[in-house]
Amino acid sequence: MSFELTDEQQLTRSSVREFAEADVAPIAAEIDREHRPPLDIVPKLGELGLLGMLVPEEYGGVGMDTVSYCIAIEELSRVCASTAVLVEAHSSLCTWPIVHYGTEEQKQAYLPDLASGAKIGAFGLTEPNAGSDAGNTATTAVRDGDEFILNGQKIFITNGGFADVFVIMARSTDAPGTHGVSAFIVDRDTPGFTIGEPEHKMGIRGSSTVPLFFSDARIPAANLLGQEGKGFNLAMATLDGGRTGIAAQAVGIAQGAFEAAVAYAKERVQFGKPIASLQAIQWMIADMATEIEAGRLLVYQAADLEWRHEPFATHSAMAKLFCAEMATRVAGKAIQIHGGVGYTEAYPVERAYRDAKITEIYEGTNEIQRLVVSRAFLR
Amino acid sequence: MIIVVTYQWAPDPQEATVAADGTVDFSRAKPQISDYDATAIEVGRALADATGARLVGVSVTGGAGAAPVATKAALARGLDEVLVVSDPRLEGAGTTMTATAIAAAVRSLGEVSLVLTGDSSIDNGAKMVAGVLGGVLGWPVLTDVTAVRFVGEGLEAVRVVPQGVQTMAVTAPAVIATAADAAKPKAPGMKDVLAAGKKPVRIMTADEAGVVIRAEGVLRSTGRAPAPARRMVRIDTSDPASAGAELVSSLRAAGVWGG
Repeated sequence: MSFELTDEQQLTRSSVREFAEADVAPIAAEIDREHRPPLDIVPKLGELGLLGMLVPEEYGGVGMDTVSYCIAIEELSRVCASTAVLVEAHSSLCTWPIVHYGTEEQKQAYLPDLASGAKIGAFGLTEPNAGSDAGNTATTAVRDGDEFILNGQKIFITNGGFADVFVIMARSTDAPGTHGVSAFIVDRDTPGFTIGEPEHKMGIRGSSTVPLFFSDARIPAANLLGQEGKGFNLAMATLDGGRTGIAAQAVGIAQGAFEAAVAYAKERVQFGKPIASLQAIQWMIADMATEIEAGRLLVYQAADLEWRHEPFATHSAMAKLFCAEMATRVAGKAIQIHGGVGYTEAYPVERAYRDAKITEIYEGTNEIQRLVVSRAFLR
Repeated sequence: MIIVVTYQWAPDPQEATVAADGTVDFSRAKPQISDYDATAIEVGRALADATGARLVGVSVTGGAGAAPVATKAALARGLDEVLVVSDPRLEGAGTTMTATAIAAAVRSLGEVSLVLTGDSSIDNGAKMVAGVLGGVLGWPVLTDVTAVRFVGEGLEAVRVVPQGVQTMAVTAPAVIATAADAAKPKAPGMKDVLAAGKKPVRIMTADEAGVVIRAEGVLRSTGRAPAPARRMVRIDTSDPASAGAELVSSLRAAGVWGG
């Protein structure tokens, strides 16, 4: 058993870190302050292949392994969680289901532009009355000849403000509960499909989070993704992988906060010596480092299982559950080590704290993750 | 046509620690392609694309630089292939041995038109390898070059020196040390990372390269440089006009203000 990353995984980390520090870190605080998505760097993300990591080479992607993908998300999150979630939602939630459930025509039509960054993807599952209870989807898709007519509303859609391609869940049959839900690919310019005003959020403020409205929005029947009535399964499979990505995001947020705390502890002098020499600080640093490493190993394990086509849903849920709460704890300790200045925007740790919180909520709340994990052992 | 770029698998200076006495410790810094050499590779890649040349990386190492992760890191930055002279006896090699080994590797490649080096080695900072390399090869050498292109059978290089900006015609083959700001290195893309493992890598020992290892002085430590000597100049400001002229004159005399 080896815990050593491959050469390619190590180089993925160093390359993404180099890019993140040069191009993303300088704008991270600014886009947070201005609630502005980092659209200026989307072309660079595409050029580097960071938007096609999960897309096979034959469709213009990179075809990277899932551990490398998680490393990339981790490194982006280390400096900017908003940029990371743009990549994560695009990759895990939009390109992934098209790669795994799309017809050849759908793959040819959508994947090359998604992989290059010419188009950005989003995923629409959550509704006002279908959050954790995703089977309660009320958005409808009614067949009319060669088309489906969509009506309903989605909320909290990441990337929605600027995305070009949406994977949308809607109820297309009368089957009860989760059985009547189907997945569809919806283009942004579809008549009857409108995008609402962005949410003003506590964290990941550089991420676009919007409601979507469907009012007799007609889409080609050929845009049905996967089998009709099997959309809930598609959504859950998509979220299994997505959760590993969010766990990686949490590890990255924690790592960034940790490094800031270590640097501050070494330079901040109190009682005539750096506070890093105080045992109270040393113990916090030790706990933070240990928790981050534990979370990172959970992420890589889940990602590796997925890449080897082994069952990974439980491990993915464990990784997200642990890493999300760990990131909030670590960012909180990072603020504590900074003291008063850590509570101000002058240092990045308050942003890390706000950004960390969402990882406990989106792509399945941690209560849902506990449900997933417990079911694996109580069957 | 072959363009060679020399590179070093060297400690990341961002991870070096500086003690209170100014001593720099690289021992815990992870290795990477030196930032200076990444700049040279960027310049070389643009030249190779413009001319259709093959871009070959050449490196000298005591062993670590021959590891697959090191050669892949270099190749991911845009080199077409790499040639590494790897020998434990070259660990910590100084300027002369490094340049001699590079020269042997360059000669083994055949018709090389240009050798690009980084501004200086990231750890020693001696800025001497390019000069010694040119001497060993018997080729012209230019340092501090911010731009270079092939013109006819030769090269045209732009360098920034204290006297100003010089544009120079140089006969090829030549050795050119790129200035630190000659290009902005781009992070390797994900496709570049995956493709790196499929590019050719050749590793040769010092003996295979025909390099005779000789003892050379080694860098023992790097401490803080002494503060520059300052010459006090007092200017009488009772007459602002003459004080201004005197200030300008003093700055010019000190070499602070050119022209």
